[in-house]
Amino acid sequence: MKSSRQRWVIRGTIAAACVVAVWFWPLFQIVPLEQAEQESLAAEAESFDPAAFVEKFWNEQLIPAESRAVDAQKLIAAIQEDHAKARKTRGRSVGLSSTYYYFISGTGRVTRVERNTVALVIRQGADDAEVLLESGPIFGNAVRDATGLLDVNDYANSQDFNRISSEINRRIEAQVLPTLRKVAVVGGTVRFVGCVQITDETTDLSPLRVVPFIAEAQ
Amino acid sequence: MLKLDRTHLARFQSLIALTVLLVGMSLLSDSFLTLENGLNILRQISVNLCLSIGMTLIILTAGIDLSVGAILALSGAVAAGLLKNGLRLELLGMELQFTVLGSIAAGLLVGAGAGFFNGVTITRFKLPPFVATLGMFSIARGLTMLWTGGFPVTGLGQSFGAIGTGVFLGIPVPVWITASLVGIFVLLTRRTRFGRHIYAVGGNERAALLTGLRVDRIKVAVYTLGGMLAGVAGLIVTARLDSAQPNAGLGYELDSIAAVVIGGTSLSGGRGSVMGTVIGCLIIGVLNNGLFLLNVSPFWQQVVKGFVILAAVAIDRMSAQER
Repeated sequence: MKSSRQRWVIRGTIAAACVVAVWFWPLFQIVPLEQAEQESLAAEAESFDPAAFVEKFWNEQLIPAESRAVDAQKLIAAIQEDHAKARKTRGRSVGLSSTYYYFISGTGRVTRVERNTVALVIRQGADDAEVLLESGPIFGNAVRDATGLLDVNDYANSQDFNRISSEINRRIEAQVLPTLRKVAVVGGTVRFVGCVQITDETTDLSPLRVVPFIAEAQ
Repeated sequence: MLKLDRTHLARFQSLIALTVLLVGMSLLSDSFLTLENGLNILRQISVNLCLSIGMTLIILTAGIDLSVGAILALSGAVAAGLLKNGLRLELLGMELQFTVLGSIAAGLLVGAGAGFFNGVTITRFKLPPFVATLGMFSIARGLTMLWTGGFPVTGLGQSFGAIGTGVFLGIPVPVWITASLVGIFVLLTRRTRFGRHIYAVGGNERAALLTGLRVDRIKVAVYTLGGMLAGVAGLIVTARLDSAQPNAGLGYELDSIAAVVIGGTSLSGGRGSVMGTVIGCLIIGVLNNGLFLLNVSPFWQQVVKGFVILAAVAIDRMSAQER
């Protein structure tokens, strides 16, 4: 049994160790309110700006990467032949997720214009191949993740990475979709470059739903 | 001989179940038996394991804690809020800007405080643990909403983020943290007087009282430790997401109770172990991971998990009757 004196010595030693630790590794520092406010404003100015990032990414990386997109006709043929093989050779996944992406481009004739989609036939004949270009609100991470241009590990936190996706989608809604809706006339021809997000094996791949970041009349 | 075999079987039932699961999943999925996936599972179970270690101590005293998920959210939110925004003391014209260490300490203190409150309401006011911790569940959820205004606290920086996303010697930091806690609490329960007292209180509270144990004090200490471990879990979750979500930890209390029960700890107290809980957490983690790799719907995953819990409790009851 420890004596009362021994107990107090142990407690005193622990308390002294805590004081020394806090002296070397302080838990907080006291700052006057004015200084704290100035620091807060400065930090806000330096924080991640998704709009500025996407502006640069869009012009310097995304648009120049157009040539890397898989031809839509070839992709659809590959999916029809063996979708698992097509996923392996032409798709892209992030981590172990069941979601995967295709980065595609093509040209097609407009067959239908609906509220949130524009249907294009990209190969005519007995086996018409159709794609749907999204023309309504854009959700998901298709454009951010399909191209392979952005890596989550390059960002300080996942919030910034998610904000990039939202900003890309917002930019598509503001700049690409109005053009698409203008040029999407039944019978007209539209060239597109975009990305496809496929949630899992149960997703219907016919037709592919493409989020376009380039859409123009041909 | 038959009795001995049965006793051994009952003792190692969780381990046998885990082995069967590991072998089964390895055969069914090519991606399962890889180092990367193994570390993934360990990282995924680290939060539940932190909660479950505390829950094991509590259930060993024949108690229950329904507030650990809410305490997790509150601790994470307080730590994140103090780190990101500091603490403004308008009257004194100053602001306390918390360091990473300070915010961690605050998060743990909040968790321990909430657990202490649970312990006090259960022992002083003689409230059933179910009711007392249900009260704390609501209090902690409300306080989290008040503290965060209902919005996530984000952008906590890389130093804090290392708690959840860092890697040391090839192993994720949360796994190191959890492994250390397992070591500490295995020693605490097996090798210390306090550990023996926990079993004594859960085994027969009246007998423990009559032998002179300070039962109330032991219970308060156990609930405080449970709250503090929920605080650790809150810090890991917050660091991993780089944000404190007001709704973090919803339903986590059920997962931790499930892990404890699957691990062989008796809900009536006095019987079980921290190592059993580790196996229970691994079973849940392997099930979740394996079913995900096999593309089983998350809804079916819940159904399977429910059956596993029922089976674990049924086996526990049957072996208790045999004894």
